[in-house]
Amino acid sequence: MRFIIRDDPTAASAHVANYIVDRINRFSPTPKHPFALGLPTGSTPLGVYQILVEKYKAGEVSFENVVTFNMDEYIGIPRHHPESYHTFMWKHLFSHINIHPRNVHILNGNAPDLAAECTEYEAKIRAAGGIELFLAGMGEDGHIAFNEPGSSLASHNCIKALSHSTVLANSRFFGGDSASVPRTALTVGVQTVLNAREVVVLVLGPRKALALQRCLEGGVNHMWTLSALQLHPNAMIVCDEDATLELQVKTVKYFKEIEKLAQDHDSHHPLRTTTNPPKNAMSTATTPALTTSPTNTSPEDAPDRGSTSDEHYYTYNARTTDLDTFMAHFTQEASEPRWVPDPDPNTNSDSDLDLADDDDFVPDSMSSRIIGDPNPLRRATPSSPGEGQDDDDDVDDEMMQGVAEVSVVEGTLMRPVEVSRGRGLM
Amino acid sequence: MSPPTHPPPPRSGITKFTNCLVLRGNSLVRDDIWISSVTGKIVDAQSAFYDSLVVPDTAIDLGGRIVSPGFIDCQLNGAFGFNFSTLTDDYADRLRELNKKLIKTGVTSYLPTLTSQTSELYKKVLPHLSPSGTTTTTTTTTTPRNPLNGAESLGAHAEGPFLNPLRNGVHNPSALRTARSFTDLEDVYGAENLRPTTTTPAETGKMMNVVPPTVRMITLAPEVGGMMRVIPKLVRRGIVVSMGHSEASYEQAKEAVGKGVRMVTHLLNAMRGMQQREPGILGVLGAGPYFGLVCDGVHLHPATVKLAWNIHPEGLILVTDAMHVLGLPDGRYPWTNGEGEHWIVKKGRVLELEGTGSIAGSSSSLVECIETFLRHSGAPLPLALRAVTATPAAMLGLQGVKGTLDPGADADLVVLSFSESEEEEQVVNKVENAEEGTKSAAAETTPGNTVTTPNADGHEQKKQRGPDLVVEEVWKFGVRVYRREE
Repeated sequence: MRFIIRDDPTAASAHVANYIVDRINRFSPTPKHPFALGLPTGSTPLGVYQILVEKYKAGEVSFENVVTFNMDEYIGIPRHHPESYHTFMWKHLFSHINIHPRNVHILNGNAPDLAAECTEYEAKIRAAGGIELFLAGMGEDGHIAFNEPGSSLASHNCIKALSHSTVLANSRFFGGDSASVPRTALTVGVQTVLNAREVVVLVLGPRKALALQRCLEGGVNHMWTLSALQLHPNAMIVCDEDATLELQVKTVKYFKEIEKLAQDHDSHHPLRTTTNPPKNAMSTATTPALTTSPTNTSPEDAPDRGSTSDEHYYTYNARTTDLDTFMAHFTQEASEPRWVPDPDPNTNSDSDLDLADDDDFVPDSMSSRIIGDPNPLRRATPSSPGEGQDDDDDVDDEMMQGVAEVSVVEGTLMRPVEVSRGRGLM
Repeated sequence: MSPPTHPPPPRSGITKFTNCLVLRGNSLVRDDIWISSVTGKIVDAQSAFYDSLVVPDTAIDLGGRIVSPGFIDCQLNGAFGFNFSTLTDDYADRLRELNKKLIKTGVTSYLPTLTSQTSELYKKVLPHLSPSGTTTTTTTTTTPRNPLNGAESLGAHAEGPFLNPLRNGVHNPSALRTARSFTDLEDVYGAENLRPTTTTPAETGKMMNVVPPTVRMITLAPEVGGMMRVIPKLVRRGIVVSMGHSEASYEQAKEAVGKGVRMVTHLLNAMRGMQQREPGILGVLGAGPYFGLVCDGVHLHPATVKLAWNIHPEGLILVTDAMHVLGLPDGRYPWTNGEGEHWIVKKGRVLELEGTGSIAGSSSSLVECIETFLRHSGAPLPLALRAVTATPAAMLGLQGVKGTLDPGADADLVVLSFSESEEEEQVVNKVENAEEGTKSAAAETTPGNTVTTPNADGHEQKKQRGPDLVVEEVWKFGVRVYRREE
C-alpha cells in the first residue's frame, strides 16, 4: 500500500485530483474503452471534485469517455432531495464537467426491487470492464462506502442499515435532525471496491485519525472495514497531517521516506498505464493474503504485537487477493527490484542483495523465525537509527503501556515486558 | 486505423449559461442555468441530466455577467413613436414593430397601458392587446409563444377612465367616467374584454387552459361612484385592481384594499400626499398592496424614492409610465388624449404637456429606471431587479411563470453587465443647497462625467455617473432575440 501524507487538506486533495487526472490522461479512454471511475460522496472528496472541475475547465482533462460509478445512495429519499447523493454529485461534479449522463451510474435508492438494483449495478460495473480506479473516503468508524463496522469484507453491493454514529455524523446535512436521516442505504460492498484495479482513499482531519490508525497499523478487521484495503495489491491512502495524529511516528516517517524514494524512482520510470498488463502479473505471487506475520524491527517489539498478528505495515510487497485481473501502477512499480524481490522463494536474485545492502532497508530480523517463509529478505523493513538487531530492552511504544504479558511467537518464549519499562504514562 | 466516428448527439434544444451571476431570491449567486428552446422554459438541469439523460447543445460562458429574469413593465403607454391609445389603420403592424424593438430594452413582457379613452376606442384597441403568450386563437397574434414576435403582452392595463377628476393628470377630463355598477365597466371596455376564457387545447383534449381577460389590470379611483361594490367582481375575474389618480382618504384606501385592491398606481403621483392626520393612500402601504414607482429622476424626489423603498421594499414595482416618445430624440411630438391635438415636449428625460407645465409621463426605459432607483434608494442590485421581475410577476399572479429563473418558468431572460461608480450621487444637495451659478460651474468642471438635464422646475439637475447597467443579451422563450453589438 502506498501512503501519502500532505501538509493540509488542500494539498492532499490536490494530490488525489492530480493523480486521477494523470491516470485518466495516460489511460487515453475511448468510447469503446472508457475509463471507469468509482466515486464517493461526503465532505472529504469536495476538494478533489473542485480541483477536477478546475482542471476540466482549464482543458487539462476530459470526462467524455469516463464512466462513473458512485459508491452509495440513501434509500427512500427522492433523487432531487438536496441531500441525496444524486444531488451531491450533480452539484459538485457532474454539472460542471463534460460527462454524459448515460455514463453516470448511481445506485437507485428508490428502485422497486432493491436487491435486483444491486445485482444490476454489479453487472453494469462488469460491463464497463471493471472499475479502473475507485476513489474513496473513510468514515470516522473506518467505514468505506456504507460498509459499517461488522460488514462482511467479502460483500458485494447490498442494502445497509446505517450505524447510529453514521446517522449522527450525517445529520449535519439534514439540519442537525438525526430523525430525518435515512436509516438505510444502498452501497457497493467492500469486495466491490477491492475488485477495482486501483483504490485511492482520501482521509482528512483529526477526527479520522483513530480510524486511519486502525486501518493502517491494525489488522484486517471487519470492525474497521477500510482495513480490508490491506488486501488490495494497488491501494493508496492520501491523508493530511491531522489525520496522522494517532499513527506511530515511525509509520509516518517510514512512509514519507518511501514516498521520497518513489518520487526519485518515478522521475526516471514514468507511470505506466494499466491497459497492457505485463505477463508476470501478480497472480503468480504465492503469498497468501491473510497469513501475514509480525514483521517487527526488533525482537523486543514482538511480545505485545506478535500474538495479534496485526503489524504488517512495514512489508512493502504487494499481496494477491482473489483477483487475478489486477495489474496496476504500483504493482509494476513494486516489481522494480529495488525493494520488491522476486516473489518466487526459490530464486534469490541479485536484487535481493541490493535490497539488503541498502542502508534504508535491512532484512527483518524476525522474519527468520517465521515458519514456512524461507525468504527472509522478502520482509524488508526500514532501518531506524538506534534500533539495531541486538538492541536492548528499550520499549519505545506507548501502545505497550499497561501491557505486561508473555507472548509466544513461533513457540519461542519472549521476555515479559514490564509496565514500568514504559516511558511514563501517555 | 481510422478514428471511430460518432454520430452527432441528438439536439436537445437546451442552452446552458455558465460562469454567470444568477438572480435567485434576494441574491445573485454563481450558478449555471439551463433553458430549452423547445419548451420555451427554464430547465431543471439536474433532472434533465439524470432522468432524461440530456445534455445542452451549447454552453455559453457569460464571463461573470448577470442573468436576470426578463423585465416586466406594468405601465407602458407606448414607445418608439407608437401610442397604444391612438387608433390607426396600421395599428397591428405598428404594435408588432414595437414589440420587436421593446424587447431589446430587456422588457420581455409588459402590460400595454391605455389612458382614459372613449368606449369606442377601448373596444377597437383592446382586442389587439390581449395576452400574447398564452395559447389563444385570437386574430391579432400570429403564432403564440413565438420568440421572434418580441416582447409579450400580458394583457392590457386600463388606466382609467374611472378616475377622480381632481387627479386626472394629463388624462382628458371629459373622458373620465363614474361607475355605478359592473355593467358600466362592461359598457366602457366591452364585456368580452373583461371575461376570462377557457380553451381546450386540441392535443390533450381535456386540459383546461384559462386565458386571463384582455384587460389584465385596471387603475381606478375607489372612492368614486359605486367602485367599492365593483372591485370584488373584477377581482373574481382575475383582473388586478390598482388604485390611482385618486383622492381616497386613508379610510377609503383601507376599505378598497379590503375589497381586493392589489396595487397602487404610480405612488405619490396623482394622489394625495401624506398628512399627519390623513395619511391617505400612503397610509395603507405595508398593509398589502404593491405599488408602482415612476423612478425616472423626474416624477419623484430621490428622498421620496428612498422613503417608499424603506416603507415597503417587498411591494415596490418599478414602472416606466413611458410615452410613445420613449426611444425618440428630443423634440415636440403630437399627442392626443382623446380630445383635440396636444403637444408633448421632450427634453432629455422630461416630458411636459405643452402649455400646462404638467409632467406627461416619462421617456425613461426600464433599465434607466433601475439605474435611477439604485442611485436614489441605495437598494442592492438584486433587490432592484426583483422590483421589475419577481414582484410584478407576483402582483399579476404569475409567480413561477414570469419574473423568476426557477425551473418551469418561461425562459425569458436578460443578460446584464453592471458596473458601479465610486462617485456618490450628489443631485439632492446640488439642487437644494447650491446657488444657480455654482451648480453650472460644478457641471462644467467634470463635463465627462455629467449629464445636465433641466428638471420640471427648470432647475438644472446634475447626474453624475452612477451605477451602469447595460443590456447585453435578451432571450425570449429560450431563444436569443437580442445581442448588443460591441
